[in-house]
Amino acid sequence: MHGEYKIPGGKLVVADLNVVDARLTDVRISGDFFIEPDSALDVIDAALQGLPADASHEALTLAIEAALDAEVTLYGITPGGVAMAVRRAIDGATP
Amino acid sequence: MNRTAWHEHEWQLIHAGAQSPSMHMALDEVLTTEVASGRRKPTLRVWEWASPAVVIGRHQSLRNEVDSDAARRHGIEVVRRISGGGAMFIEPGNTITYSICAPMSLVAGLSFQESYQLMDSWVIDALAVLGIHASYQPLNDITSPAGKIAGAAQTRRGGAVLHHVTMAYDIDSTKMLEVLRIGREKLSDKGTLSAAKRVDPLRSQTGLPRETIIKRMIETFRLKHGLSDDRLGAEELALAEQLAGQKFSSPEWTAAVP
Repeated sequence: MHGEYKIPGGKLVVADLNVVDARLTDVRISGDFFIEPDSALDVIDAALQGLPADASHEALTLAIEAALDAEVTLYGITPGGVAMAVRRAIDGATP
Repeated sequence: MNRTAWHEHEWQLIHAGAQSPSMHMALDEVLTTEVASGRRKPTLRVWEWASPAVVIGRHQSLRNEVDSDAARRHGIEVVRRISGGGAMFIEPGNTITYSICAPMSLVAGLSFQESYQLMDSWVIDALAVLGIHASYQPLNDITSPAGKIAGAAQTRRGGAVLHHVTMAYDIDSTKMLEVLRIGREKLSDKGTLSAAKRVDPLRSQTGLPRETIIKRMIETFRLKHGLSDDRLGAEELALAEQLAGQKFSSPEWTAAVP
């Protein structure tokens, strides 16, 4: 499943994932944003794995925020923007 | 960490002969690491391209961004760089690319947006000298009233920041659109679906040869910040060749995000 969200004033966030037994799996976030250190994107992917497929936008946002260390810097990408791309992937709002 | 000014550093210029796309990716990593360690002084490197390339950002999906069949058909090498940001379509005579490898002190205490603005400021002046009214446009563009001119990307390695910029000198947009996949969603807040961000290249804006523009840009940097001519060290070159062959040509890296 595939979802995209262009963050207003930010960058494009793309979510590719599968849903197995009503949970998110194989979650992969990509896009033209900036993250320092770059390994923090793996942390975001990991934070989303296994979450319920019916988790709200807010719950997804909170899961990402909780997983990121304070020293991680995001530029052009936000936890809420990632959550939007994930919701769109699940809901099939983008082909 | 206290912030340092440009003129407090002994800037070095590297403008070597044409190199392969994977070698350019490797040189960015090696030179940034060398500046971080203090073995190399802060450096402006102007790239010369040996062959066409698509350069995708660190976090982009290879499949989403590039039509690999079309790239192969046109003999275009696809490489992934170490910084974030978007895909770039490169043809040797059509692009002006440079990297700045600087100690973190140059951007100490600045937000990311402020650090892009600071690192782009000399080239805004260089473009003004060429008669172009350019400005930094957040998050990472350089634009003019006639359209986008360039895109920048930064990444940090220990004690150093890499800021590299690709400027459009000329552009074969038909070929670009065959090779790059530019999705509708990306354009959704730009107010237009009919074209990608309107690019107005330096050739049409200046009427000058590419080499002349590069020469004037280097002159502006030299006048503003000071600049000594330098070359790649034998060790740097050997390290970069190793990285170009083992990391930046490998499917594991290029398809790190498939």
